[in-house]
Amino acid sequence: MSQPGMPQETVAAVQAALGAEHAALWVYGLVSAFLPAAYDKALREGVAEHRERRDATAELLAAAGITPAPAEAAYVPPEPVEDEASAAKLVATAETDATVAWRAVLERCDDKALRESALAALTQSAIRATRWRLAAGSDAAVPSFPGQP
Amino acid sequence: MRINSGVPRRTVLVGVALGAAAGCTDPGPPPPPDPLAALADRARADAALATAIASAVPSLAEGAGEVARVRGEHATALKAEVERERPPVSTTASAPPTTPPAAPKDEKAALKALTDGLTAAQKEAAGLVPALPRYRAGLVGSVTAACASLREVL
Repeated sequence: MSQPGMPQETVAAVQAALGAEHAALWVYGLVSAFLPAAYDKALREGVAEHRERRDATAELLAAAGITPAPAEAAYVPPEPVEDEASAAKLVATAETDATVAWRAVLERCDDKALRESALAALTQSAIRATRWRLAAGSDAAVPSFPGQP
Repeated sequence: MRINSGVPRRTVLVGVALGAAAGCTDPGPPPPPDPLAALADRARADAALATAIASAVPSLAEGAGEVARVRGEHATALKAEVERERPPVSTTASAPPTTPPAAPKDEKAALKALTDGLTAAQKEAAGLVPALPRYRAGLVGSVTAACASLREVL
């Protein structure tokens, strides 16, 4: 997917998506202490997929001659994480943020391969967001248009 | 090159002029159907089936109700996008009335009908995303992701 001369708006959207992947990984790391063993598999899967997505996205940018944005040292959760429900809710938020970032990539690129990978990222994060919303006891588990800001 | 074609020049010119005139009045072949129209039809059909299942199979009422709500919103948004791009010629024409689909009474069969429908809808939408204009890629990408997510609530 190397593409020298990636349009500026595409670069900005991909960097934002990379930022969402960094944030999601930080969140998965934070919440694990608050979640019982029943969540281990979901946590492992989420971390593995976000790591893969983060690395592929950084490589894509580097191949286009752009320095991938690094992760922040820490992130500020919108609400404090104190228990299982608030932990699940924060993961749902991080996954939702990722859907928004990846849909934005779809709307700011024309490259077919990047579209396919952005669609896969949007879809996988939407599925996980739904699972974590269900875990958090949220009523509206499936938004009609995941990723729509 | 053949110099003498045997056709008098005047005849050729008249023929060209007639052809050009015909080109002005001939409406030509109709434009290809909007690919989003098929997605909208499928969404409407999915919503109708889910509505029927929600009332016929109580154990699936909640999940099927979610499918009906979300797919109904997909149908509305996709139809609006189709009409934005190509406004309907007649505003009075509406979709032909459809008879509500028969819902499988059996829970297992109903569940399969719902999940199969969502899987097919996800696949059809995903297949369009790479080549659509940017705005539509976002909309259809969200439809794809929603269909995949709905399977989680069934």
